[in-house]
Amino acid sequence: MEQIAFACLSVFTLACALGMVLSKNAVNGAMGLLLCLAGIAGLFVQLHAYLLAFILVLVYGGAIVMLFLFIIMLLDMQGGQPWKFRKLQLVGTLVSAALLIVGLNLLAVHGQFGSGAPVGKGVGSSLDYYSYQLFTTYLLPTQVLGFLLLIAMLGVIVLSRRHPETPEAR
Amino acid sequence: MTPLSTVLGVLLAPLASAALILLFLRRHGGAAAALSTLAAALVAAGALALAYGGVPVVAACEWLRFGSFAISLGLKYDDLASLMLAVVGVVGLCVHVFSLGYMRDDAARARYFGGLSIFMFSMIGLVLADNLFMMFIFWELVGFSSYFLIGHWHQRKSASEAAKKAFIVNRVGDFGFMLGIILCYWTNGTVNLSALADSAASGHLIYSRAIPLLLFCGAVGKSAQLPLQVWLPDAMEGPTPVSALIHAATMVAAGIFMLCRIDPLMVPPALTVISWVGTLTAIYAALCAITQRDIKKVLAYSTLSQLGYMVAAFGLGSTDAAMFHLTTHACFKALLFLGAGAVILGCHHEQDIFRMGGLRARMPVTFWTFTIGVAAIVGLPGLAGFFSKDAILVLAYEHNPAIFAVLALTAVLTSFYMLRLWKLVFLGAPRSESAEHAHEGGFTLTAPLLLLAALAAVGGYTGLYPASLGRVFHDLPEAVGPAHVVILVTSLLVLVIGAGSALAFYAAGAADSLETRFPSVFNFLTTLRNCFDAAYDWYVAKVQQRVAIALNFLDIVGLAGGIVRGLLAGSVEIVGFGVRALHTGRLSSYVYWFLGGVVVLWFLAAGVL
Amino acid sequence: MTPTLDAYVILSAALFAIGFLGVLVRRNTLVIYMCLELMLAAATLALVAFSRFNGTEDGDVFVFFILTVAAAEVAVGLAIIVALFKARQTVQVDQLDSLKH
Repeated sequence: MEQIAFACLSVFTLACALGMVLSKNAVNGAMGLLLCLAGIAGLFVQLHAYLLAFILVLVYGGAIVMLFLFIIMLLDMQGGQPWKFRKLQLVGTLVSAALLIVGLNLLAVHGQFGSGAPVGKGVGSSLDYYSYQLFTTYLLPTQVLGFLLLIAMLGVIVLSRRHPETPEAR
Repeated sequence: MTPLSTVLGVLLAPLASAALILLFLRRHGGAAAALSTLAAALVAAGALALAYGGVPVVAACEWLRFGSFAISLGLKYDDLASLMLAVVGVVGLCVHVFSLGYMRDDAARARYFGGLSIFMFSMIGLVLADNLFMMFIFWELVGFSSYFLIGHWHQRKSASEAAKKAFIVNRVGDFGFMLGIILCYWTNGTVNLSALADSAASGHLIYSRAIPLLLFCGAVGKSAQLPLQVWLPDAMEGPTPVSALIHAATMVAAGIFMLCRIDPLMVPPALTVISWVGTLTAIYAALCAITQRDIKKVLAYSTLSQLGYMVAAFGLGSTDAAMFHLTTHACFKALLFLGAGAVILGCHHEQDIFRMGGLRARMPVTFWTFTIGVAAIVGLPGLAGFFSKDAILVLAYEHNPAIFAVLALTAVLTSFYMLRLWKLVFLGAPRSESAEHAHEGGFTLTAPLLLLAALAAVGGYTGLYPASLGRVFHDLPEAVGPAHVVILVTSLLVLVIGAGSALAFYAAGAADSLETRFPSVFNFLTTLRNCFDAAYDWYVAKVQQRVAIALNFLDIVGLAGGIVRGLLAGSVEIVGFGVRALHTGRLSSYVYWFLGGVVVLWFLAAGVL
Repeated sequence: MTPTLDAYVILSAALFAIGFLGVLVRRNTLVIYMCLELMLAAATLALVAFSRFNGTEDGDVFVFFILTVAAAEVAVGLAIIVALFKARQTVQVDQLDSLKH
């Protein structure tokens, strides 16, 4: 049963990812990303990380992809451009695919995980555990992240300021 | 006035005129014109005086010395030089007088006459040079004057391009010329023309096949033989008097003159090559002339063809025939060009012959002098061209029947396109507004035409020439016996066939009859004309530019970087070139490099590397 | 029968490779950015899978960090893209090559 669910979810996720990468229209790409994230959230659920799945959809899908869509519509791009075939692209694609296969092969040969242990359920209620860990073991990264968010906010404000001397549109 | 001082005066008068014009008279066109014409008159008078005096003059002084190698500047005035000097002087004077009228409204008149004076100085220096180095110096000066004058209307892009083309193509030929001079000095120890002639006569000259062929390269460039003939039709961008003087009568004849000067060095294999180059040029140019619309371009191709005749005559072994044809050609070609200039000016700067017509009634003096010129070039019996062409045909008949056949065919084509030109320009009804309102020019335009017409008419009778000039061609090939009849019949037949077919074929309409009735022939001839230019364009763009870029890179990095500044600087520069190429500015290439780095790290981590 | 760890890791690697492919071949800056986000999501999947199969939940905490950083990065990055668009009127990557040598 779980195998079937995993298979369906993974096929769905991969298909949406490919759809996002290969679609000409940027809005279609954003929709593909959204569905892909939904698939990943499903996989999280299968791994018993329910809170994470929820937060993934909320933050990633609800905020980040929404922001993407806003910007796509703000920049008002006229569809997509036709695919201009360049030889280097083909070479790069083949190289990346080859690397992926080689890398996975390396993992299979040198890796240490066999046919795995069953999925554990985790230690205790997730939210308590996460917050406890965030404020004790991982306190420094948490504070640094707060700082990072502050800087990001400042950066966005600075970048979107309107300079009176620059021409608005040519 | 001793002969030596007369010769020096003839040489230096144009130089003085040029210096004065270019230093003080830049803005005074009228004064510059008068001064330059005065200098030309002095040259003509001096040349004729020396010719009738008949005294050879030799003088030399050493100029540069490097150990055992010395370059000297000297004058060698002998029969050959006297003939060329007379030709240059008379034709030059006619062109100067014609320019007084033709360039009257030009804004840069002073610069033009300064250029004409510089040209006269360079040409006379070339004629009087007594050694090959000095001849080379004046050779290049003549090329420079040609560049200066072709690009006179340099605001027009086509004119400046044509000037550059002329200079560069000449340079290619001059490279071979320089190699020949160096080889001659190395083999024989001297480049003095008298010394070479003496050692040839006494049997001490070291012959080689390379020297005359390399020296001939210079003539190929200057006299526009195949394959370096591409610059002459484009050189018609210059004013018409310039075309008459430089590209018809004198500068292009300098190649022939030089060949006659180095006659002692010639060997039979070289002469065979030379004769075939001349013959092929003659027929190629005649084929190209048939489809031209521009009056000056027809005459330019005609010049190419006649130069081919002269070179072929020289190659067949007779300098006399070559020089005789040079003299008569100078007269009637200058006449034709000046006549064309009068026509162009009369039709208000119209040069397309299909927009002329009916000028016979409107410009009678021009018509009759031009007719005499046409008759001379096609070889009407009795006029100058008949005798000189006959001499060449006799020569070919005796030495090389194949060349004789080709030259006879060329003569047919010559009659054909010249009569086409004559008919379309002068006969029939006017085909455009400007032709309707054409009018005869003033005295300065018609007087030179009359003088040159007279010379073209009587120039064939060698008995009329003064002694020193006549000595140059006292040894003309003469036909004996049955050959005499063959040649005579051939020349008459050639004339009748060519002229008759041209007059009958070309209707006096606004379109080219050949183009409308035989378009395949017309297209073939047009392609033939363009193939050399296309081949050179391809070669320069694809081969020469790439070699130049590679050599430039080698020079900057290898020589200047590696050897001069030290190996470290050179290698740093190479590395810099390489690294700079990585900055493409495109995101995708940066990502590819990123991928490469990740792959390396990955392999390192997995223990593969 | 639960899926093995290999399956999750291979799936995560495949998603990562697809995202990387998108970064390589797409010319629209926004789509490149979305592919970057896909790569990050694939990394989170791998993290959670590994932590589960080790029986802990530490990997989950890390996903918080990744999520936060992704959010901040998207905000700043899109602000940059908008400013770039205002300056150049284009977001096609091959027209933004003024850093060429």
